[in-house]
Amino acid sequence: MEIPYTVTARKDTGLFNSKVGIWLFLASEVMLFGGLFSGYVFLRIYADYPWPERALPIVPGLINTFVLIGSSVTVVFAWAALKMREWRKFQIYMGITIACAAIFMVLKGIEYKAKLEHQAVRMDDFAIIEGHAHYAVVGDDGKISHADTKTKAKKLSDSGAKPFKANAILFKPQTIDFSVARAHQPWVEAVLEQAAKRKSKLVTAEDLFLYGSIRDYAGTEQEPLSSKGRTNSEAELVAKYANAEEKAGHTFGERSLYIPAGTELSYDLVKQAREVYVSGRSHNAVARTAILKANWKKVKAARPEDKYWEQAPDARIDSATQLDEQFDSEGNCISGSKVVSVVSTLSFQMSPPQPIVIDRGWVKRPVKAQEGKAELRDDTSFNAGSAGDSAPGLLSSPLILAVDAIDFRWMAQKAEEAGKEPLEVIEKSWIFSEENKHAKYYKRIWKNHKARIAELEKELLEGYGRDKEGNAKRVPTETDRYRITWQDLVHYARVDQHEGRPPKPSDKEYADLRPKFWDGFAGPNHKDEEIHELHAFPELEIPHQKVSLQSMFTPKWNTYYAVYFTITGLHGLHVIGGAIVLGYYLFFSKGLYRRNPEWLANRVEVGGLFWHFVDLVWIFLFPILYLM
Amino acid sequence: MADTPEAIQKAKKQYILIGLILFVFTVVTVAVATVPWLDFGDHGFDSKDAVIGLLIATFKASLVASIFMHLNHERKTIYLVLLISAVMGIVLFFLTGWAFVDPIEYGNTVEGDRFYNPEKPITSD
Repeated sequence: MEIPYTVTARKDTGLFNSKVGIWLFLASEVMLFGGLFSGYVFLRIYADYPWPERALPIVPGLINTFVLIGSSVTVVFAWAALKMREWRKFQIYMGITIACAAIFMVLKGIEYKAKLEHQAVRMDDFAIIEGHAHYAVVGDDGKISHADTKTKAKKLSDSGAKPFKANAILFKPQTIDFSVARAHQPWVEAVLEQAAKRKSKLVTAEDLFLYGSIRDYAGTEQEPLSSKGRTNSEAELVAKYANAEEKAGHTFGERSLYIPAGTELSYDLVKQAREVYVSGRSHNAVARTAILKANWKKVKAARPEDKYWEQAPDARIDSATQLDEQFDSEGNCISGSKVVSVVSTLSFQMSPPQPIVIDRGWVKRPVKAQEGKAELRDDTSFNAGSAGDSAPGLLSSPLILAVDAIDFRWMAQKAEEAGKEPLEVIEKSWIFSEENKHAKYYKRIWKNHKARIAELEKELLEGYGRDKEGNAKRVPTETDRYRITWQDLVHYARVDQHEGRPPKPSDKEYADLRPKFWDGFAGPNHKDEEIHELHAFPELEIPHQKVSLQSMFTPKWNTYYAVYFTITGLHGLHVIGGAIVLGYYLFFSKGLYRRNPEWLANRVEVGGLFWHFVDLVWIFLFPILYLM
Repeated sequence: MADTPEAIQKAKKQYILIGLILFVFTVVTVAVATVPWLDFGDHGFDSKDAVIGLLIATFKASLVASIFMHLNHERKTIYLVLLISAVMGIVLFFLTGWAFVDPIEYGNTVEGDRFYNPEKPITSD
């Protein structure tokens, strides 16, 4: 089909068609990004926590701005080259544009990686601690030891235990209950692997009968009716089946399972049980519908003159009594003839009990020692033994960090709301208390911080003076006062360990020791040798019960990162999409150029318009996300 | 739009100039956010810094739109399309303002004082 007006302009609009098309598309894009920016403004204005202003490293964002502006120039040059029929120049300019897109995405990737590796913790007193989680290993004695890198952590264990992020939960269970329906394969296998490594077994404590369809309730004795895993001899079984079927007056379903006591856990077993479970549930659904129908019929037959809504109050159609069925507390039919009791959990005993490392992301809610259990999001439940047992449940598993920022802003906000003096509340908080075995580092840091802020306050007063009411015109911000950044930590460590007399905040040398905004590139560099030698990022062990939220810098952490990843992610997708289209013009359009160069020039113009739009969005994103 | 070779040559010089202006203003926007003596308003980030940052960004964006995207001399059809999207974009910004009249959050306000005013705490009678 010949598409009209690809090269020449339509008379009514004065435009070639694809240009109208791209502008319509860009108009919808304006609204798409407009909505997201509006969301950003809303989240920021109404945030109920201190917004992380100027939280992103400026340098990668700044370079990316240069890169995108530069590529906007080169893409328009590529178009101009086509207009002048200079193919070679077009190739060069378009090549640079696509290279710019690649640089942009690489820098974005570095930035994202830094965020996704950065551990953040909100403590129960609203102190925010940021840093990198250490790595830990569980020794043969079941105790936890840790180091700041994976390699170092590996060396801590003689038996080659696998290091894990020191933000996990250590739990020594007596029994583990798996949900038949929901048990998540990787987690089941992780538990199995750990148990095997610590020479422990997970076995069923008692015989389990799982029924996938009709079984016999007539006798008091419940018999396994499955061909799977049965221990009975063939002849016995045939006899039992015959007997049972005769009693019940129907034949038994195939899908039943007998798991004798002492069976070891495997995911296959869970899967088999799941099949039986699903079968049982579907059998029950069919049976229940039949029962309800039959009951309803009875009700209607008893009161034929009434309308259904008049009958309804009397129609106890879900009641057991009418069918001589009995239900247990969970609503499963335990006697009667139609519905099977469905087994929904498989319980395994751990012998001997050994600690299991549970990823903090797996648990449903914070694990409390006194509850004696840890519940996973797939409904798996780790249960402690009784008191004085060898399976105490939750073991000491602190969150161990190399701290690169401490933020008391939220604590200060909460203190003010409660009408208390923020400084007092902060100084009485856990991090400076005797319960924290590393408190001395943090007291030292806080002393340095207060000294620097006092000096800043003095400088601002000297520089800008007071207003008519006698208040200082400029004062340190809440962020200055209550947030200790990684730059602060490095600064204070350099000051403290300065050769000779440590400089005072009023000395010129003091300011010179401060890291510049371009240091660290994409944030605090934990691998930096100087930082390591200075011990600038001190370690901190946060006890489990003090943690109220822990996360990487992901959308889970706060709405700032949610909106940051949404907008920059969508923008990044636009960069990739644009680069693909421009790459198509560069690598696959020589033929079109020979045939009809003007057409290609129009295409490049349209692709270029999209590219400029991507640049335009970034021009707003950079100051909003990085500088405000 | 530049269509003759001479006009394109001329336009190329303009593109370079605009590119340089954009580079310079990128540096300016970083400078006003990081250099203490260029800090407007109160010390640290505040609304004045936000306004200045956004003004610079708007200026840069309008250069990109008008010169690189040739909006300084475009046809009427495209202006009409963009007018609609600009109006819609602005409406989107104020949509979130509906939160002010959220009956759950602010429903217990006194009659006639529909907008929440923290200086006038609402007392229940």
